[in-house]
Amino acid sequence: MNDMRNTRRVVQSYLENLPMPGAEQVDARVLPDALTAMHKAKPQTAPSSRPIWRTIMMSKTGRLTAAALVVGVTLLALFDRFTQPAWALSDAIEALKDFRALYMVGAFPGGTAEVWIRANEDKTHSTDVVVRGSQGAVTWTKDGSTYHFEPAQNTVYFENALTVGASQWLGPELLEMFSAAENAQIVRGKDPATGRDRVLLMCSLIDVHGAQSWVIEFDKASRLPVAVKQWPNLYRSGPPSFDTFKILYYEDLPDDVFNVSIPNDAKYVEKPLAIPEETVAGLSDPRDGIPTEGLTQQEAAEKAVRILYQATIEQDLRQLKSICPLCRNWGDEFLRRIVLKPDKDDRIVEVLELRPISKTGHSPLGPIAAVPTVVRLKNGKKAEVKMIVQFRNIGGQSSCVVHGPYGLPHEIE
Amino acid sequence: MAAALLNDRSGVEDVLHDVFVDFAQSVGGFELRGSLKGYLAICVANRARDRNRTAHRRGAAGLDETPAPPTDTAGPEQAAKSRELVARLDAAMAELPDEQREAVVLHVQSRLPFREIARLREISINTAMSRYRYGLDKLRSILNGELES
Repeated sequence: MNDMRNTRRVVQSYLENLPMPGAEQVDARVLPDALTAMHKAKPQTAPSSRPIWRTIMMSKTGRLTAAALVVGVTLLALFDRFTQPAWALSDAIEALKDFRALYMVGAFPGGTAEVWIRANEDKTHSTDVVVRGSQGAVTWTKDGSTYHFEPAQNTVYFENALTVGASQWLGPELLEMFSAAENAQIVRGKDPATGRDRVLLMCSLIDVHGAQSWVIEFDKASRLPVAVKQWPNLYRSGPPSFDTFKILYYEDLPDDVFNVSIPNDAKYVEKPLAIPEETVAGLSDPRDGIPTEGLTQQEAAEKAVRILYQATIEQDLRQLKSICPLCRNWGDEFLRRIVLKPDKDDRIVEVLELRPISKTGHSPLGPIAAVPTVVRLKNGKKAEVKMIVQFRNIGGQSSCVVHGPYGLPHEIE
Repeated sequence: MAAALLNDRSGVEDVLHDVFVDFAQSVGGFELRGSLKGYLAICVANRARDRNRTAHRRGAAGLDETPAPPTDTAGPEQAAKSRELVARLDAAMAELPDEQREAVVLHVQSRLPFREIARLREISINTAMSRYRYGLDKLRSILNGELES
């Protein structure tokens, strides 16, 4: 051993080749307890003042605190290092096929809520939702619109879009979607409380609702999801925007469950059109979108939305990413499954109508507009989909891109 | 890193478990200053040091695992030499004082700069560098001594 440099080289080689315990062994030993401990930890973050309807399933914004970010990154790094996506989802997918409705109870920052939610007949996305918060607030959907009643203000805030619900039903489609996500992780372990075998499926992405991450916990015996957590960030950091601790499955539910009564003298206030702040950066590349010089807003929006649908129908991923840049946040396989859906009956096959802009707003990039469209699906059904178009002026050049859908599709026939 | 700092490598999982569970429990009141990697590295180092001391008090045996097989050997003779070197390094590392062993592992394996080690351990940069230098020097002496014997 001649000098320090040689010694360091030998020591480095030695340290890099030390025997390590097996990944699954470490997963089973560390993760369940760490997750449980994290769940029980009381965050210092002040309770969110956001109304319930923005926190359930389609939460739109979230700020990362330094502490929260730390936790997320740590766990993500652990999972990335120690997990192997070996657990097949096929069993769980099969178990979920019969259920069209759910009842969930969970916590969100600031309270608890019970959720009744029902899917469309094809079980591709939710159609009816009622969320009853612990403070008397109620959120519900009806005829393609979303309402939120705030009892302290005796006010109903509404928007003419389905902005609450599940854009993918908690069933086979959702699980397939997760399994195709590039960063999906599957971890096996035991529930530290019950000792039952469980499987955790973790995933994160940025879509039109902003950054989101999930952990879905499956009971290995029943093969059904028994808990779902969602965070408004990519790192599963901070308090979840919704954390279920009870899920009941139903083949269907009576319509009465989704009826909501509110005081007759309640005021109605329309919610302004907005997009999540964290999606703005993804919309600001001047190479994306189309020039709008000489076009009215309506003409430009129609042109952009037509290009988007054309790309979808023709399965043209490159064009899709160019006109709707947020799609770049998803891997190609994920994009095929969730947007193009080449082998699904609910994929869009024809654009029937582009209607006048129904609502406008502003983002830091410039004006935004919601364009209602009517499309025909492969299964013959018609659906109304509102698309948000972002107008921008970058380097003196006017252009626009499609932000993405404003709410869920609303089947009209 | 836990494997490098523990005399008894069967405790690696326990150390990881305790570090991450403690960390998860402290989420609410946690405020990170500096790098997360450095913070967790120090947590692992502290746990490993506690465990080594407890084991020492109980009179536990030292390293209990077969050394890692060499990864790129040219032949059986070279393999045997590598195994022997690994065994000697195991023993040499175990002989280092805790703070020197830690400085070597944090800097060489975890690639933490001395500035970060100094901040995390609340010592001066010179002290961090000295511990590393003394540690490496002692390793060299131990290895040379054994090789020459």
